[in-house]
Amino acid sequence: MLNHTDFDLQCTDLVRQFDDFTAVDQVSFAIKKGSFFSILGPSGCGKTTLLRMLAGFDDPTSGDIFIKGKSMIGVPPNKRPVNMVFQHLALFPNMNVSENIAYGLHRQGINKVEIKHKVDQVLARVNLSGSGQKEISQLSGGQKQRIAIARCLVLNPDVLLLDEPLGALDLKLREHMKVELKKLQQEFDTTFVYITHDQSEALVMSDQVAVMNHGQFQQVGDPQQLYFQPDNAFVAGFVGDSNKWSATVIDILSDSLQVKTTTGFILYTKKSDEKAFIIGSEVEVFIRPEAIHISQVSAPKADQNQLTATVNNILFDGANSQLLVEEQTSREEIKVKLPQTAEFIHLKKGDNLQISFPKQQVNVFPKLQDK
Amino acid sequence: MMTKGKSKTPLKLGLLLLLCPLLLWLVLLVILPQLTMLNISLQERVAPRIYEYGFSNYIEFFTEPLYWNTFLRTAVMSIIATVLTLIIAFPISYYIAKMLRGRAKGLLLVLCLIPFWVSELVRTYGWMILLRESGVVSSFLQYIGMTEGPIEFLYTDATIMLGLVYSSMLFMVVPLTSTLESLDDSYIEAGYDLGGNGLSVFWQIIVPHAKPAIISGCIVVFMLTLGNYLTPILLGGKSSLWFTEQIFTQFITRFNWQQGSAFGVLLLSISSLIVWLGLKLSRQSFSKVMS
Repeated sequence: MLNHTDFDLQCTDLVRQFDDFTAVDQVSFAIKKGSFFSILGPSGCGKTTLLRMLAGFDDPTSGDIFIKGKSMIGVPPNKRPVNMVFQHLALFPNMNVSENIAYGLHRQGINKVEIKHKVDQVLARVNLSGSGQKEISQLSGGQKQRIAIARCLVLNPDVLLLDEPLGALDLKLREHMKVELKKLQQEFDTTFVYITHDQSEALVMSDQVAVMNHGQFQQVGDPQQLYFQPDNAFVAGFVGDSNKWSATVIDILSDSLQVKTTTGFILYTKKSDEKAFIIGSEVEVFIRPEAIHISQVSAPKADQNQLTATVNNILFDGANSQLLVEEQTSREEIKVKLPQTAEFIHLKKGDNLQISFPKQQVNVFPKLQDK
Repeated sequence: MMTKGKSKTPLKLGLLLLLCPLLLWLVLLVILPQLTMLNISLQERVAPRIYEYGFSNYIEFFTEPLYWNTFLRTAVMSIIATVLTLIIAFPISYYIAKMLRGRAKGLLLVLCLIPFWVSELVRTYGWMILLRESGVVSSFLQYIGMTEGPIEFLYTDATIMLGLVYSSMLFMVVPLTSTLESLDDSYIEAGYDLGGNGLSVFWQIIVPHAKPAIISGCIVVFMLTLGNYLTPILLGGKSSLWFTEQIFTQFITRFNWQQGSAFGVLLLSISSLIVWLGLKLSRQSFSKVMS
């Protein structure tokens, strides 16, 4: 079962314990060949520890890691068919670009002519032909990024590990590098394991994303699944932007639940078959700002939550503009996406609006126990 | 000059006053004595109390084998002591900088520093107590039955070397530790990750990073060793043949200031020459190493 050749990387029941703290707790997953796999989680969730175990800098307390079906337990980092792009890249400052890329090839004992050929080839593939003689300090942030990746990919690893390499870049460059990384991954057809705390990076680039918290995988799925069908309150709150309320179930209907938030706002939510709630159970309710429809006039529809609200604040941010509105009876604040259309262009503070959102788009989960 | 307009502005009085202590120190304590010494070294005695300018003091140095043999011996021994200090200090510094965390790190650095709280004289006598014929080491070896009679450890080249390395250690450990500390662990990890073994990571990543500290440590240790007087005299005794001893003899015993000055100038020249050669060979610039 473990010798599946279409999985480049498999972990089974991986545990890493530090004294009385469990950094990685019973993590199991398998990554398909040639895919882009992200591990997304807040800082301190154990993702870096997990990555360091994959690279071989740290040993698991229990569990096993398989790369191409071979167990990596006891294999030192320099003997593993994985390479890592470090958070601050760790390009050797005393070597120029070519020497940096050639470092790993020299260690494999390849002859000089072939090394030169391979270095030129990989430089061309990352669009930096002719930069071989440059010093590292002469490169821009994005170029360093590409050299760090080229330095690993020239060794043809089975898996490339990336430890938040975009963290140090400014916003514009980060947006650009996201697309570029994705392209590089497809071009080289290498399995990438990418860890990040930035959900946008994970969602944009990945084929599969694992959301991690407290050392455990909360959910593994493709970006759409995580966004539209979160498994639990943590995933719903961590991935994407949401209105989040603590509430109590007050009625159970045939196709929906009726809940009441702590401020007294009453709304209807999706009722799923897997999760059974009883009246009075504490829940957390999530609705995405873009799922909420606003209009000037009331137009009641079935299966919708309908309410009247007052505009509290307009947060203009181009296409990402949002409204903060207040539900009239309970004064609960709701974040709503503000479409930049002619209808709402003259909207101002204090205006009244009709708000509606489908019951089926309101996710409800049992309240998270604080750890 | 490019800054023609600016260079005409008069030097600010405040700046001049601030520079005063430094300038006084340099001129009075460094430049002036050296120039005087150079002047004295170029004088030769033609009759009592009558001197003429000439190179006889320098010619004397090159014609008397004892002098230049001592001179060469001192330089070679100093180079060996410097290399030994580096070889011993590097693992210590690496251990302190990279392996230890928190309190243990500070503690170990202080342990390296503690011997320097007592004067060099006392430290050297400490070694003499340990190593002399009736000393601690000799008595211990007799006690456990390794030797029949007492052994004299003092007055050999090895003992001089021991003392020199011991008294220089701190000046190598401190710059190395602080430089190695500034080497991010991820460089070392990246070296291993890309397939390097301990040896290649050491030579291609750690040593290039530590190079300025290695060179500056070596310069300081070499200078201190070459100019050391106490350690070679006390631990090496009459047979130490250290060049500073020759200078001392000329000045104090033989009252030949002219010859002593010539030796002093020669010592300064050789140490400058060797440091310059070292910098050339390691392709480092003096300003970079000392910054």
